[in-house]
Amino acid sequence: MNRTQTHRQHPPNAKSTHDTMVDGHVTIAELEKEYESGDERTTAIEDFSVTVPSGEFLGVVGPSGCGKSTLLYLVAGFLEQTTGTIAVDGDPIDGPGTDRGVVFQDYALFPWRTVMGNVTYGLEEKGVGKEERRATAQRFIDMMDLDGFEDKYPKELSGGMKQRVALARTLAYDPKILLMDEPFGALDQPLRESLQDHLIDIWRELEKTVIFITHDVEEAVYLSERVLIMTRHPGTKKTTVDIELDRTQPREELVLSDEYTATKNDVWQSLREETTPGGEH
Amino acid sequence: MSYADFRLETVAETIPNPFRRVVRFVFEWIPIAIVAGLWELASGTAVSSEILPPPSAVFAVSWELLVSGRILPHLQVSLYRIGVGLGLSIVVGVALGVGMARVKPIENFFEVFLALIYPVPKAALVPLAILWLGIGTETAILIVFLACLLPIVLNSYNAARNVDRNLIWSARMMGMPAWKLPIKIVVPATIPSILTGIRQAIPIAFIALVSAELIASNRGVGFEILRHGQIGNYTSMFAVLVVISGTAFVAVRGYEWLERRVVTWT
Ligand SMILES: Nc1ncnc2c1ncn2[C@@H]1O[C@H](COP(=O)(O)OP(=O)(O)OP(=O)(O)O)[C@@H](O)[C@H]1O
Ligand SMILES: [Mg+2]
Repeated sequence: MNRTQTHRQHPPNAKSTHDTMVDGHVTIAELEKEYESGDERTTAIEDFSVTVPSGEFLGVVGPSGCGKSTLLYLVAGFLEQTTGTIAVDGDPIDGPGTDRGVVFQDYALFPWRTVMGNVTYGLEEKGVGKEERRATAQRFIDMMDLDGFEDKYPKELSGGMKQRVALARTLAYDPKILLMDEPFGALDQPLRESLQDHLIDIWRELEKTVIFITHDVEEAVYLSERVLIMTRHPGTKKTTVDIELDRTQPREELVLSDEYTATKNDVWQSLREETTPGGEH
Repeated sequence: MSYADFRLETVAETIPNPFRRVVRFVFEWIPIAIVAGLWELASGTAVSSEILPPPSAVFAVSWELLVSGRILPHLQVSLYRIGVGLGLSIVVGVALGVGMARVKPIENFFEVFLALIYPVPKAALVPLAILWLGIGTETAILIVFLACLLPIVLNSYNAARNVDRNLIWSARMMGMPAWKLPIKIVVPATIPSILTGIRQAIPIAFIALVSAELIASNRGVGFEILRHGQIGNYTSMFAVLVVISGTAFVAVRGYEWLERRVVTWT
């Protein structure tokens, strides 16, 4: 049984299949983003279209500077596109919204707030009462193995802990779509792997749509149901690769399996054409 | 305090913890002790003790001024002026700094203005201030306010301009409307720099205060310096100076102590 099937099976009391299919569905069409600084104009994203169905885990890889962050911040509504449309569940987005939650590479925690204060932030903005806020936040703090650190300030935490707080903070206000920009890039291998597995569990349990940016091919293949490869500057969609792996096996077996190696090589090969000067594109 | 730190990093490592504070204290005060010693020797030998009274006499008078309470009414007036002037400069300075960083027209309006008043010694404004506000507290407050405004505006302006874009975006994605950002994100993110600005402003406040009181007051510690000087009582004049410098020192140290205890997240 592959993971695509796993997460599409909903318990009988879940919303109708149709609703679920519509919830957190991202459509990007003919997107273009041009940066202007002074007289300089840089086209970061060009002719970019993709549809991310609700509940999908989409990995995005591409050469450095190809516009991955730009793409993510456009979807988040932080930046405005030059042309094209971005729609969530059919409605074009208008700036940032609580239906989308970003996890930044550098955590972006509020240094003046404790772990608890950071995780309750979104709920406060939603107007959730204090008791409920704390209860919900506590659930995500526990999920991230951060219990006991509720009253610590970000400066008192390690990088991995900060990233878990950032993840808890974004999950706590329950966005349908998670947008992650190389969130584990700065972490060491064991920590990165543990957070990856955490993320898969969360994604399954909470049924989020995830767009996950990384420059690490293994990470993309390990996590995603589909990997989108971007061309080098200006970024366009080169191709997408479906990842069909037997997710029932434990990590140590999965990463040694032939399918995993083959898929990884496909993605790597495709990406390599973009990163090697003079390569075909 | 680089002198003390420089010595202590090497010396203090070898000393058991409880004694380190004592050692640090001693090292910190050694330079002062040396200068005081030389001054004591010079006074009455190299220079007439009439115009350079020995530190022993000066400190004795300072002490007497404090315990007898004779200086206290003046100190009280002066500290009140500093408190109000500095307090106003914090409120106005932070609002202006954050406003300039976030709103282009405010920035355009005040940028030139600040650049122009920056090099003007605030003491030079005292005669003008007397013209507007007369001799007394208001003039001193105005001068303290103007002098303290710059470090506070500049520190908060620079920090507010460079607030991590991801912090702003984090707040926005969690549903914060843009109009709440200055108060909820920009000011808190700027607090470490605001505190630095205030710390820089405290000694400046004392400088401004004394320069105002020397000319435009008939009370306060600055006025006391002038009064003692005019009647030729140079030992007392020096003694008041020592009181002022000691008060400013205690104010800065007290502020740093408070800052460490109140703002624990920086
Ligand atoms: N604010 C900006 N102004 C002008 N150009 C920009 C700006 N931000 C990004 N760019 C340009 O847009 C292009 C894409 O940048 P982006 O940060 O999206 O790349 P990326 O794929 O995330 O790179 P990396 O993998 O190194 O993080 C780059 O050429 C970059 O120089
Ligand atoms: Mg990037």
